[in-house]
Parts: sequence; structure tokens; C-alpha cells
Amino acid sequence: MSPFHFSFYTAFTLSSLGLAFHRTHFISALLCLESMMLSMFIPLSLWPIENLTPSFTLVPILMLAFSACEAGTGLAMLVASTRTHGSDHLHTLNLLQC
Amino acid sequence: MNPHAKLIISLSLITGTTITISSNHWIMAWTGLEINTLAIIPLISKSHHPRAIEASIKYFLTQSAASALILFSSMINAWSTGQWDITQLNNPVSCLMMTMAIAIKLGLAPFHFWFPEVLQGSSLTTALLLSTLMKLPPTILLLLTSQSLNPSLLTLLAISSAVLGGWMGLNQTQTRKILAFSSISHLGWMIVIIIYNPKLTLLTFIIYTTLTSAVFLSLNQSKILKLSTMLISWTKTPMLNATLMLTLLSLAGLPPLTGFMPKWLIIQELTKQEMTPTATIITLLSLLGLFFYLRLAYHSTITLPPNTSNHMKLWYTNKTPNTSTAILTTLSTLLLPLSPLIITMT
Repeated sequence: MSPFHFSFYTAFTLSSLGLAFHRTHFISALLCLESMMLSMFIPLSLWPIENLTPSFTLVPILMLAFSACEAGTGLAMLVASTRTHGSDHLHTLNLLQC
Repeated sequence: MNPHAKLIISLSLITGTTITISSNHWIMAWTGLEINTLAIIPLISKSHHPRAIEASIKYFLTQSAASALILFSSMINAWSTGQWDITQLNNPVSCLMMTMAIAIKLGLAPFHFWFPEVLQGSSLTTALLLSTLMKLPPTILLLLTSQSLNPSLLTLLAISSAVLGGWMGLNQTQTRKILAFSSISHLGWMIVIIIYNPKLTLLTFIIYTTLTSAVFLSLNQSKILKLSTMLISWTKTPMLNATLMLTLLSLAGLPPLTGFMPKWLIIQELTKQEMTPTATIITLLSLLGLFFYLRLAYHSTITLPPNTSNHMKLWYTNKTPNTSTAILTTLSTLLLPLSPLIITMT
């Protein structure tokens, strides 16, 4: 495994573990999601250089655009949860449990 | 909701689903899934109630994490094989992660915890969208990758879905949660056959969509959200309650009704593939589902509540039953004799 692949896998795995196990604030979950997306930007932009397919160079921009939309939606819901629940703590989201 | 916003949201839902189910490239499939997720969130959170906001937050977190996993595993596959074709998922690690990600998206059993809560927090029409239209793109992705998936893992997911969907639905009193657990157990039936006969999975999905739409639309007619409302709903729509009982029994899979057809074909196919123990287990587990469907049917038609006659009458609203409820109810009760035609068509 090359150092590039190792760093990319480590970045993605660490941020997804952070999303799975650090469950205090909604904003930290959003940051982990964003770092998952950003860690995927590097291999997506290196793939067309490695495989000599220039038509693929649009894809990292597409992915960034969608991850920005996702982050915007996440921040909108952060505001909504602050208005309805009083904070962005994830343990206050317990109204719907079985 | 603003009609322009509603128009844009429904167009985005249709566009996202179409992009995903017609794509041949993992990036396009991921794009469609993202469009779907971003479009359904305003529909869930449109009532600005704390429950709706909570449901939309839970839906957003699970779906975006699952989409990121889908992109990650397809990229591992692309780096090891050099192509992004959906049907050519050859790397075993990416195959495993893809199965997990799609299971999170669908709400299959070890990853199902978000699904009943999201359904409970949204309105009945949004719950209908979430349990039918939102499940179509991940199911199609699973169908397209079905050659390279791990059979024992899928069987395990299917049996645990059938167990948990049947078992956890037993002590629910909210109709949306009961229908969520019924959706989980139906997904188990779809997943168990996906390796051996993918067309049968599609048939099961279509039948399940018809039955669930009929049930949700009938419940939406008199806004039945819990079993105690169901007890007094016969004063509003007596005939609809009778057909609702038939639709529920069809959803349970009782023989003269439509819902029996997918179960019959799946059991037949599993027996052909020398998987009699799996077929036996999953058939016995559908009895758990039958219990809560029977309880819903009992509450809707057979029993009377111990109320005084003043409490029997709900506030009367002059809401005419729509045509789609009638068509879907008819389809979901009378389609079994047409099963040879439907099998040849799919």
C-alpha cells in the first residue's frame, strides 16, 4: 500500500469513526461528515491523472458541490434543532424512541 | 408548503430516482442518491415540530454517512480495477462495504434503528414516500451489483431483518411504527432472494409498494396515527375500513390476496436452490408479522371501542376518498389470479 493510499484510508476511517463514536454535538457530526467528503476529494482528483482519463476531471468538482449542498442542509438543520430543542446536543433527540 | 417549493421538491425526487435507477456509473448513482436525500429533508421537516426536526436530523445523518460510504467503496473498487461500472464491483472489500452502505440506506436489520423513528416523526404521505420511493434507488443498486455480493452475508441480513421487523413490531401502538417494522421484514424477504433471482426481488418490491401505498392512503383518509384512533375510524369511513382489513391481510401474505404471490414465489425459488432451512425460517418469521397485521385488522373492523356514544363520533370532515386509494386497494386484493402474467412480464 502506497503512502498516499494509506493516508487517504486513514483519513476516511478516522472521520467515520469520529462520526460513529463521538456523539455529543450535532456540529461535530457535521464536521466529521465534511472531513469524510474532503478526504475523498484527493483520490477522486488523482484518479484521472493516474489513469489518463481527462473526462473524469469534472467529478471532484461535482462531489465538492454536492458535499457543500449537504453541509448547507446540515447547518440548516443545526439551526432548526437549536430553535426546537434549545441546543445541538444529540442526546436531546429522544422524542421518537420506541 | 409553498406550491413552487413543492413542485421543485417533487421534481427533484423524481429526477434523483431516475438518475440512480438509470445510471451505469457509480458517480451518477451517488449523485441521484444525494439529490433524493436533499429533496426529501424539507418534506420531513416541513411541520417545524420538534419531532419532525428530530426525524429529519436522524434521516440526514444516516443517509449522508451511507452515501459517503457508497462513494468510498466505489472509489476503492475504481482504484483497484480501474473502472466505475456499477455491474463490475469486483473488489471484495468494496463489495462488503457497499452491502453495508446500501443496508444502512434501506434500513435492513442491524442498521434499521433510524427507520421507525423517522417514519414516526413525519406525516403519513411523507412516510409513504420514505417507505416506497426512497427505497427504490438502493434496491436497484443492490440488484445491479447482485452478481458479486456475498450470499451468506445477504442471507444473514435478510433473516435478521425478518426477525427484528416481526418482533419489534409486536408491542407498537403507533400505526406508522408498525408499518415501518412491516417494511423492514418485507425488505428481508426481498434481500433473501436477490442473488438467486433478481427479477423476483423487483416483483416483490412492486407488490410491496402497491400494498403499502394502499395501506398508507387508507390510513391517511381519516388520519389514523395510532390504534385508538383506528378503533373509532369506522364512524367516518366504514367501507374503507373493510377494504383496509383486506389490504392488511394481503400485506401479511394470506393466500387468496395479492401479498401471497411474492411469498409463494420466493419460497418456491429458495426450495429450488436447496435452501429449505432458510425458506422454513423466513416463513415461520412471517407469522410474527401476521400477528400485528391481524391486530391492526381487528382494531379497524372487528371490534368496537368501550367508549360512550358521544366519543364515537370524530369531527366530521367532508373529505372525498380519492381514486388512487380505490385503484391501489383493488390491485392489492385481487391481483393473485394474474400472477402468471406478472411473472412473465417482469
